[in-house]
Amino acid sequence: MPRRVAITGMGLVTCLGTGVDQNWNELINGRSGIRTITAFNADRCVTRIAGEVGSDFDPWQYIRVKELRRLDRHQQIGLVAACQAVAQAGIETPPSDPYRFAVIVGSGIGGLHTIEAGHEILKEKGPKRMPPMVIPMAVVNLLPGLIAIRYGFKGPNFGVVNACASSATAIGEAYRLIAAGCADVAVTGGTEAVVGEFAIAAFNALRALSTRNDEPAKASRPFDKDRDGFVLAEGAGMLTLESFDHAESRGATIYGEITGYGATSDAYHVVMPDPDGAGAYEAMRLALEDGGIQPEQVEYINAHGTSTELNDKTETQAIKRLFGPSAYKLSISSTKSMTGHTLGAAGAIEAIFTTLALKHGVVPPTINLDTPDPECDLDYTPHKRAKRNMEYGISNSFAFGGQNVSLLFRRAQ
Amino acid sequence: MDDIEKKIVDLVAEVLVDVNKENIKLDSKIVEDLGAESLDIYDMIALLEDEFGMEISDEDVEKIRSVQDVADFIKASQKKS
Repeated sequence: MPRRVAITGMGLVTCLGTGVDQNWNELINGRSGIRTITAFNADRCVTRIAGEVGSDFDPWQYIRVKELRRLDRHQQIGLVAACQAVAQAGIETPPSDPYRFAVIVGSGIGGLHTIEAGHEILKEKGPKRMPPMVIPMAVVNLLPGLIAIRYGFKGPNFGVVNACASSATAIGEAYRLIAAGCADVAVTGGTEAVVGEFAIAAFNALRALSTRNDEPAKASRPFDKDRDGFVLAEGAGMLTLESFDHAESRGATIYGEITGYGATSDAYHVVMPDPDGAGAYEAMRLALEDGGIQPEQVEYINAHGTSTELNDKTETQAIKRLFGPSAYKLSISSTKSMTGHTLGAAGAIEAIFTTLALKHGVVPPTINLDTPDPECDLDYTPHKRAKRNMEYGISNSFAFGGQNVSLLFRRAQ
Repeated sequence: MDDIEKKIVDLVAEVLVDVNKENIKLDSKIVEDLGAESLDIYDMIALLEDEFGMEISDEDVEKIRSVQDVADFIKASQKKS
């Protein structure tokens, strides 16, 4: 019998701010975190807007100044989010049973800034001058390692690389480890920080990004007829997951429950989703089957909703196929309309938003949905948040490469 | 301390997370007194090479024990060049 898995801690660092409360407040008030890029001079780029983690990012509560220079930006924001999630859970560290504590963290790309900087040094000064921290700052599995070092968590520990589904996959795998009894607690989620000339140019080359440079706050417009691509963003989301028994035995506050996980591959195309949405459909169906519920019991979907034509239509089709006529009764939102697309961190950030939506009975809006795409005719909660008492919600994450992940959440009882 | 020595102390302090600058003396031994481990040493070498525009070989590193040794080594190689 699989064990129940509780969410007992959460942490967020996004372009909407630092901390879960700050993010939720911005989100339900429909505020966009997308701005003109400040981190570098983007004049040469086709796209000059992004969601940057801003000046309110204050790592000093958790990271000492000197430690920062040995951490890539994706590690800095990811570590702060993880510290928030551990602090909220109130876990005593180091734990007395350290091998029961897992850390599983996703990132689509990892330390791209560090690789870029290292490459500059290689070209300018030669191979003997390569800084020694390039590898530890570049690889995706170092952040779960750093979290383990900080807290003394000695159980299963790995990074997950799965493009825009990285952190959803990480959470799903952590959920399974706990459900199967292989760990009692897991810190899991994802982080991404690649906003820079290299990544902007590379995604522009794929024609994937919005170029609405004059109206940054209106650039991410999922399901809207006038969308023109996604908006790249930085961010990190981390959760503390815990078996119900473990959480209850120490009197922890339970914010929500993960009850299902579905994962599939389109086996179709390098960057395009299968147009009939079969893989996305099957991921959602598997998550419901895993959770032992019927489609009619789901009331909220936090859509992958990237603001690209291909994603938004395919995802809508997959939802309609699974839910039938009751698809029109679902409350759906794409919070990427406000956070932008944080690639490998998106699944975790949206897992937290889904948990909070169920907990507070509030559906975050999809902003900028002025003129719905005729092929996207579901209730995406345009412009303004909605109040709704909901028990079950799904969060979808789909990746370049064809990977589809759906996570099923239940409101804390 | 002269300018070169002060700069070295700054760099050593930058690398060693747990060491306060005030506690770094010229005769402080980098491993034994200040607690540097191998990654710290490599990090320091990279910063020193950048700062003083020189190369420090792994053989040279073997001979260095204290902050003073670092200063002596850098001054000697500046004279050579």
